[in-house]
Amino acid sequence: MADQLIVVDDLVVRYGTATALDGVSLTVGAGELVTLIGPNGAGKSTLVNTLSGIVAPAAGTITVRGRLAHVPEGREVFPDLTVDDNLRLGGWRNGRRGRDTSRIYEILPGLVRVRKQRAGLLSGGQQQMVAVGRALMARPDVLMIDELSLGLAPIVVTELVAHLRELNAEHGLAVLLIEQNARLALGLCSRAYVLEAGRVVLEGPADEVAASPRVAAAYLGGGVSAP
Amino acid sequence: MTDLVAYVLTGLGIGAGFALVGSGIVMIYRVTRVVNFAQGAFAVLAAMTASTLLAANLPHGVAEILAVAVAAGTGLLVGAVAIGKPGTTPGASLIITLGLGVFAYAVEVLVWGDQPRSFPGVPGAIDIGDSRVPAHYLLIIGVTVPVFVALAVFFARTDLGKALSACASNRYAARVVGISVTRMGLLSFAFGGALGGLAGVLVTPVQQVTFDTDVTLIVNGFAAAILGGLTRPAVTLAGGLLLGVGQTMIAGYIGGAYQTEVTLLLMLSVMIVQAARRSTLQEESA
Amino acid sequence: MRRAALIGGVAVVTLVIPLILPAGQLATYVLLGLAAIVTVGLSLLMGYAGQVSLGQASLYAIGGYTAGLMSVHGLPSLLGLLAAPVVAAAIAALVGVSLLRLRGHYLAFATLALQLILLSVLSQGDWAGGAIGLQGIPRLSVAGVELADDLSYAYLTWAALALTLLVSYNVIHSRAGRGLRALATSETAAAASGVPVGRYRLAVFALSAAFAGLAGGVYAFFVGYLAPGSFPVLLSIEYVVMAVVGGLGTISGPVVGATAIVLLVRALTEFGTQPGMPSYAPSVLSYAVYALLLVLAMLFLPRGLVPAAREAARELAERRGRKAPT
Repeated sequence: MADQLIVVDDLVVRYGTATALDGVSLTVGAGELVTLIGPNGAGKSTLVNTLSGIVAPAAGTITVRGRLAHVPEGREVFPDLTVDDNLRLGGWRNGRRGRDTSRIYEILPGLVRVRKQRAGLLSGGQQQMVAVGRALMARPDVLMIDELSLGLAPIVVTELVAHLRELNAEHGLAVLLIEQNARLALGLCSRAYVLEAGRVVLEGPADEVAASPRVAAAYLGGGVSAP
Repeated sequence: MTDLVAYVLTGLGIGAGFALVGSGIVMIYRVTRVVNFAQGAFAVLAAMTASTLLAANLPHGVAEILAVAVAAGTGLLVGAVAIGKPGTTPGASLIITLGLGVFAYAVEVLVWGDQPRSFPGVPGAIDIGDSRVPAHYLLIIGVTVPVFVALAVFFARTDLGKALSACASNRYAARVVGISVTRMGLLSFAFGGALGGLAGVLVTPVQQVTFDTDVTLIVNGFAAAILGGLTRPAVTLAGGLLLGVGQTMIAGYIGGAYQTEVTLLLMLSVMIVQAARRSTLQEESA
Repeated sequence: MRRAALIGGVAVVTLVIPLILPAGQLATYVLLGLAAIVTVGLSLLMGYAGQVSLGQASLYAIGGYTAGLMSVHGLPSLLGLLAAPVVAAAIAALVGVSLLRLRGHYLAFATLALQLILLSVLSQGDWAGGAIGLQGIPRLSVAGVELADDLSYAYLTWAALALTLLVSYNVIHSRAGRGLRALATSETAAAASGVPVGRYRLAVFALSAAFAGLAGGVYAFFVGYLAPGSFPVLLSIEYVVMAVVGGLGTISGPVVGATAIVLLVRALTEFGTQPGMPSYAPSVLSYAVYALLLVLAMLFLPRGLVPAAREAARELAERRGRKAPT
């Protein structure tokens, strides 16, 4: 499957004696919008950290074709550095010549106004934009976003989602969205996985997953279909 | 009045030495969260090396630069041992730097013996009114200021400097972005070594250095770093200079046998006041 | 039961050793025992209360000078010996009230600073004999009997160490001890569970000071004179090395650590004083060894010899158990 950007096969990750991921498999294809939903502690962030290379797996394989950029949970900007420096450092892996930030300001014009401000002083929504912009500096084929909406006002989230849709439509950027807000995730993405206690319990097209009684009951407030 | 000017100049000279030692500590702490108890050893090693090279007829300037390079290399070695092994906690690294500092002391005695050493600095003196200020103090100031300016530019304008600041600002995010935090830590240790070495090389002509390490230099260097909360280089610089001037003024006007003790007590008070303001939670997550 | 037998065995052996040692080596026995006493306190502080002290030798010095000064001024020597731990603990408690607000590296540095200040005060105070020191401390007398020879000091040290270990054991296994262990892992969690964090830290600090003070008192009577030069910062670092190498948070660890280090340094001193070696060789070699041991221990045996030995013994027993027919 030449257009599969991420292939995770039977991944097992342990922290000491606790098993965080117990044989997880998923794929993300070029240009796809895929989401991974599930409750707190299900292992979503572990999966993201493993894909990002920060955590080492105990078993299973990960195949990544193309570039993968990681937008961490909680934004994790560099608070003492300016927005511009935050973005520049996003291009660290590109080497000395790959640190031009002008492209990002075209995609996310909301950052132009605050480019010289220290990132620690920005609002949550602005920080999330910085984190996304920083990830985009690496010219990724897949953007991995951990908890996009956490702690953000709905109107801010709507704007971010619009940016993601635009990036996907116009630049073919694939997105792996890890989310607690299932309604939001299932509305944006075309395919979904449900992770519970380290295992994938359900997967398929987003609308089917949304319609399943289990998901509707646990994550969507019972029987209400996604917008 | 002219006395005052002389004291201030001399004090700034000594204070610059303190500030250099202190900024080495701050640089290392910011990036690695490790307090480098071996910082003094860099100063002594560089001073001893410089004296040997000068005695071997290497020209002034070359000898000192080589000595600072040796100190930087030593810093790198200390860093490699202290943080190179994955899984070493900052507390363990602190104790390791302490051990390495003692080891360096042993090496110094082995190589250079236990007699105090010095070497000549800039000759001559400047007359200010009826006080004389040895010209060497002006050299110390004259070298330290550009060094600090260069450091500020390095951190604010170069990508490498920004990457170092990034590690200090948010370690996790630095790793996400692909910065090798370990490599940055080693770099900060090398820098710390160079700064400490520079302090040793600059200060020795006016204050003899022995294998005992120059206690004044190190204690005040630490005090300057602590004034800056171990993280603020600008405050460390100001603090170092202030400590230097304070010491010369006390020595000049009151008579100085207790300078080191006063500095220590001052430092203790600052630490306790700072701690009272901070909460336990913050400390544990650091 | 096996542990009681082991302890009994060790007790008997260590009681017999002074009788068979050649006279010149008794001093080593005494100094080793005294170092172990200080290290027991330090190990408690570092292992259970989770605090690093780089100035434990200052408490050793305070104990020594207390006992020495009292005796030199005519007070009964036994009183001096008893006062030593009390005064050391009191000073530690007094200083600790402000100092223990500091954490981690700040506390480490503060204890170092305090030792430097103490040394300076002692060097410049005529009441303490200044840099030359306090001379002519009389021998210790207990109930009219004077302890005149090294052998009696050896047994005095043994008794003091046994007492220290006993107190340590009781503290660790008390309810307070559990609270202490909680402190070492996480202060916030401990505080949330109702452990009076501030008071416990202070108590452990004072207790470790008492141990060091007691050792210092014995030292004063044994050696007969005290000088600031006998209590350098390097001595505090030696204690840290002994505590770390032996194993923090164990009872036997400090004793094992102190024994290992003192014997090793002795051997090196012998080597260093051979003809042809420069005069500073002994001290240089010992510094190099302390440093190397500390670094190696922190890197490869962070929990110390005793826990590592216990692990190895456990694994051996497990392997043997698996091979045995069920």
